[in-house]
Formats: sequence, structure tokens, C-alpha cells
Amino acid sequence: MSLIKINNLYKTYSSGKNIMTEALGGVNLSIEKGDFTAIAGPSGSGKSTLLNLIGALDSPTRGSIFYENIDITKIPLNKLALFRLEEIGYVFQAYNLINTLTAIENVEYVMLLQGISNQIRRKKSIEILKRVGLEPYIHRFPNEMSGGQQQRVAVARAIVAEPKVVMADEPTANLDSKTAENLLDLMKELNEEKGITFVFSTHDQMIMSKARKLILLKDGKIAT
Amino acid sequence: MFTFIKIAWRNIIRNKKRSAITLSAVGFGLGALIFIRAFVDGAHQQMIENYTSLVSGQIQIHARGFHQKEQLEIYITEPEKISSSLKENPYIQSFTYRIKAAGLVSSPEHSAGVYILGIDPRHEKKVSTIYKKVKEGTFLTESSDKGIILGIRLAENLNVGLDEKIVIMSQALDGSIAAGAFHVKGLFDTGTEEIDKGVVIITHKAAEELFVMHDKTSEIAIRLKNVEDAQKVSTLIRQKLNSSELEILPWQEVSTVLEQWIEFDNGFIYLIVIVVMIVVAIGILNTVLMGVLERTREFGILLALGTKRKQILAMVAWESLFLGVIGSLFGSLLGILLTLQLGKTGINLSMFSSALTSFYMDPYIYPVSKTDHIIISIALVLVTSILVSIYPAWHAANLKPVEAIRSI
Repeated sequence: MSLIKINNLYKTYSSGKNIMTEALGGVNLSIEKGDFTAIAGPSGSGKSTLLNLIGALDSPTRGSIFYENIDITKIPLNKLALFRLEEIGYVFQAYNLINTLTAIENVEYVMLLQGISNQIRRKKSIEILKRVGLEPYIHRFPNEMSGGQQQRVAVARAIVAEPKVVMADEPTANLDSKTAENLLDLMKELNEEKGITFVFSTHDQMIMSKARKLILLKDGKIAT
Repeated sequence: MFTFIKIAWRNIIRNKKRSAITLSAVGFGLGALIFIRAFVDGAHQQMIENYTSLVSGQIQIHARGFHQKEQLEIYITEPEKISSSLKENPYIQSFTYRIKAAGLVSSPEHSAGVYILGIDPRHEKKVSTIYKKVKEGTFLTESSDKGIILGIRLAENLNVGLDEKIVIMSQALDGSIAAGAFHVKGLFDTGTEEIDKGVVIITHKAAEELFVMHDKTSEIAIRLKNVEDAQKVSTLIRQKLNSSELEILPWQEVSTVLEQWIEFDNGFIYLIVIVVMIVVAIGILNTVLMGVLERTREFGILLALGTKRKQILAMVAWESLFLGVIGSLFGSLLGILLTLQLGKTGINLSMFSSALTSFYMDPYIYPVSKTDHIIISIALVLVTSILVSIYPAWHAANLKPVEAIRSI
């Protein structure tokens, strides 16, 4: 069984009176457990929209998104937060940490929401920060770290609670190529090591080349 | 919850300047509120003390109907019985008998309608301060049966001085003409025109003779250990005496004008409270709302990570509460210190002394801090700080994660 199965997914935005923009027009795809998948396409192709829908951050106009056998489009809005908390990790573009929390506190945050005890939270956070090479920076605030270091903290936060899937929306967009490559290598290692599924939205060639599965979007539809 | 509190606290520290401006607004607002309340409380205390000390006493006992009609015919028949009950009351400091009647006072040149007060000089001194207002001559003594003291303005009108003779004419209790000659022993100047121009004082014994009121009295005036107990003690006396023939009136019922003036003042204070609360509310709302709008992206991330809306609400409310609590600490400290300092030195308002005297106030007002008023002021600021956080908190909690994350 696929980890994620998307059937006939539509998303239409209304912008102003009677102006409707179709961002996705009937997408069908499946993502298997342990995939390292990139959703690529030019700007405006609908890749971020698709990622947001798969990530339960937005709701489709029509269609279904199954996580194993649960259709998340049927989950009421007030319960969707819990679904995101339990099942999905996120890495957004740069500046996605909570600025008032230190690196370790940012990593601990998701586990805190999950009700995990303080001792376990701290232990797992230190372990994961060590794993991403940030042990010396655990007590630094985001504005005391470089963009690459911040994204590593974001990756650590996304995987520390061992979600089924990590959604990464243009994670390298604000990084220089060397830092971006290091970050991607790290995510690939974690994918292989822990079996966590990664789904990217990107137009970065480097991500596309490293992805094991590439989904190309054009005008809201899958191109290949 | 601790992490949300921590985030709220750090958000306050993050914008030091803005937080400092807000805290100043809250602090100065509350400080001003505490001080103004203390100033008014001090002025009220002075008014009540001066008014009740000058002539009225803090509780008056009469035969029923006397307060409204003030007729000689309405008198207390057996004052000793009441007296023995009052002596047992632990709230009462002292009390005295008075005979009150209207009459005419004449000098060789002029005459004037006056209010005649018959007092027991020894006990009167323990109840009122009228003896302190004697500016020329002396106050009455037990043996001053033919002595009289009167207001300095009345003496001017009658054109009499010390040791000169004046005649009182009135109607006695038995219907006969009450007339007697008295020597001016002293002249008082209370600063209150109606007293200085319209009251003469003789001894109770002389009044009993003059008005044929042996073993009777018009009024028992009481001074309490604490004037704030006036209503409570009046009720206790009513219960103890249990007589439908008597009226027991605390100063609030004796002088409804003074009571109404104090009520009016308190109403004015409520207006000031509302204005200060609006300033505090705008200050906190500005800081918290700006903070929330600036952090739209951050709230989007928090929501995306699975933070519940009620947790976002709590976070913003905590931020607001922190501003309220710190501002309150600063403000209450400021208000209390200012009140304590000026409570010692007093506030010199002598340039308004004639107006102040008319309202039984001294040229120096001493602010008095009352714990309940301070607590109410602080509670108002804290409640306001929570209330104003509702909109920013609601705004933050209802952001759509996708849209919020996209915002710059």
C-alpha cells in the first residue's frame, strides 16, 4: 500500500469577483514509504500548492488525499492540527524557526506539543542536533546562526519526532550551493538511515538530481 | 504551557523599546490612578473629619422627627438611659448632650435670627473641635451659665465685643417667652459662613433654664474611634436601644449634601478611571497587535507544526498579561511611593484656601492610600490587559497556516 495516494486533486483559488484561478487540475499520484521525492516545475506550476495539500496545510477544492487508508480531506479543520503534529514534519524556506526559542528549544517544540516528557525531549533533541552537526550551537537563537545552520535546525525539528513524512518546501532556496548540497546530503542520509519519507517542492536542479523520484508539474497538471 | 509562557516573555524582551514605552504608559497610568484616588480619599477623609468634628458629631441621636423639623418640642426624655448604653459601646470614643433651638439675638444696636446651641463644655470638647476655633476670648466652662460665644461675623453684624451683653429671645418648651441676657465670653471663626454668622453657643445648663427643658435634651452627638464605622455603629445602637421613638443618624444622613458631594467626587473618579483604562488599553493593544502582525509568518509556522489555536490564544494573552503585570508593579510602586511621600508632607493648596474651607478642607491635603482602592486599580489594569489581548490573540489563532507562512 502506498504511504500517500492522491486521486483527482483540484485546487482553485478565487482572486477578486468571479476571477477563479486553477492551481491544480486533476492530479493523481502516489508516494511510497521511504521515497525521496521531488515535485518540480516552473513558478506557478502548482508545486507549492500540491505540497501544502499533501502536508495538510490547505484543503483541496475537489479530490482526495489518502495517508495509508485515511482520507485527510475529510478530517475537520480543528483535528487537522493534531494530524500534522503526529504524522508530518516540515522544512520551509529560510527563516522558519521560532525566533524567541534557541536551537534546542525549537527542536523540542514539536515533542512538547506531543506531550513527551521533558527528559526524553531534551535527550532526543541533543541526539538529533549532534546528528546534524550542530552540537556546539544548541543554545543559540536563530539570529545567532547562519542560514545553513538554521535550516539544519529545521531539519532536526522536522525529523526528531519521527514523522511518517517530511515536507520540504524549497528548502535550499535561500542557501548558497555548497550549504544547499550539505543540507541535501544530510536529508538523504536521514532518509536512508531512518526510513523517513521526504517530499520536496523545488526548482533546484540539485534536488532534482538527488531525488529518487521526480514529479514534474506544469500548469497544475503532472507533466510526466 | 511553560514554553508558551517563555515565548510570550521573550517576545516582550525582543522589542525592548516598544515594551518599555508600553510599560511606561501602563505604569504612569496606574501610578496616576492610585495617586489621584489617594488624593481624593485624603480630601474626603479631611472633609468628613472636619465636618463631623466641627459641630455635627459622627452619629446623632434625636427623638424621631427632630432632624427634619428641628423643633424644641421634639426632645429626648430620658437621656441618661441612652447614655448608659452608649458607655458600653466599644466603638464610641465620647458623646455629649445638646439643646438646639432657633431664636433671636439682640445687641443694643442690632438683632439677628440665630441657631442657639446649648452644650456641655467638658464633653463637647471630646466630641467637636469648635473650642479650637475660638479666636478671641475663651471657650465656655461648666460655670459659664451666663456666658455665650458666637461667630466672629455675627459679632461684627451685632457690633458687640468680648464681655458685652447680648439678649437671646425665643419660645420655651412650655410656650412661655424664653429670654435671657448673656455676656460674650468668646468669638469663634470656623471659616464656614453659616456657622460664623448664624450660631450662638451657651451651656446646656443655661439652655435647660432658658427653654424650660430640665432633664431633657435635643440631641446626643457621638464621636467614634473610627469615623468609617459610622453606619455600622448606628445600626448597632438602633438594635441596642430598640426604640421607635428615637432616630439614630450617621453623619451621611445628617449631612446628605456632604455625602452627595463625596458621591459626586467618586463619580468623577470613575470617569478618570475610564480615561486611564483607555490609555492603558491602547498602549497594550498597540504593542501586542504590532507584535502579532509582525510575527504572522511565525504564527503560521507554529500552526503548521501542530500548535492548537487555544495555545496561540494563550501565548498572546500571556504576552499581554506580562505587560499588565510589570506595568502594574511599576505603577503601583510609583503611586504608593508618591502617596506615602505626599501623605507625609501634604499638598499645599493654600491658594484655594477660601474655597477649600467652604468644603471643610484644610489648605494642606494629605493623600491616603487605601489597600482596597489600590487592589481595585491594579485589578482593573490586569483585567484590561487581558481584555485588550482578545482581538490580537483571536487574529493570530485564526490565521491560515499557508497564507501566514507566505507573508513577509
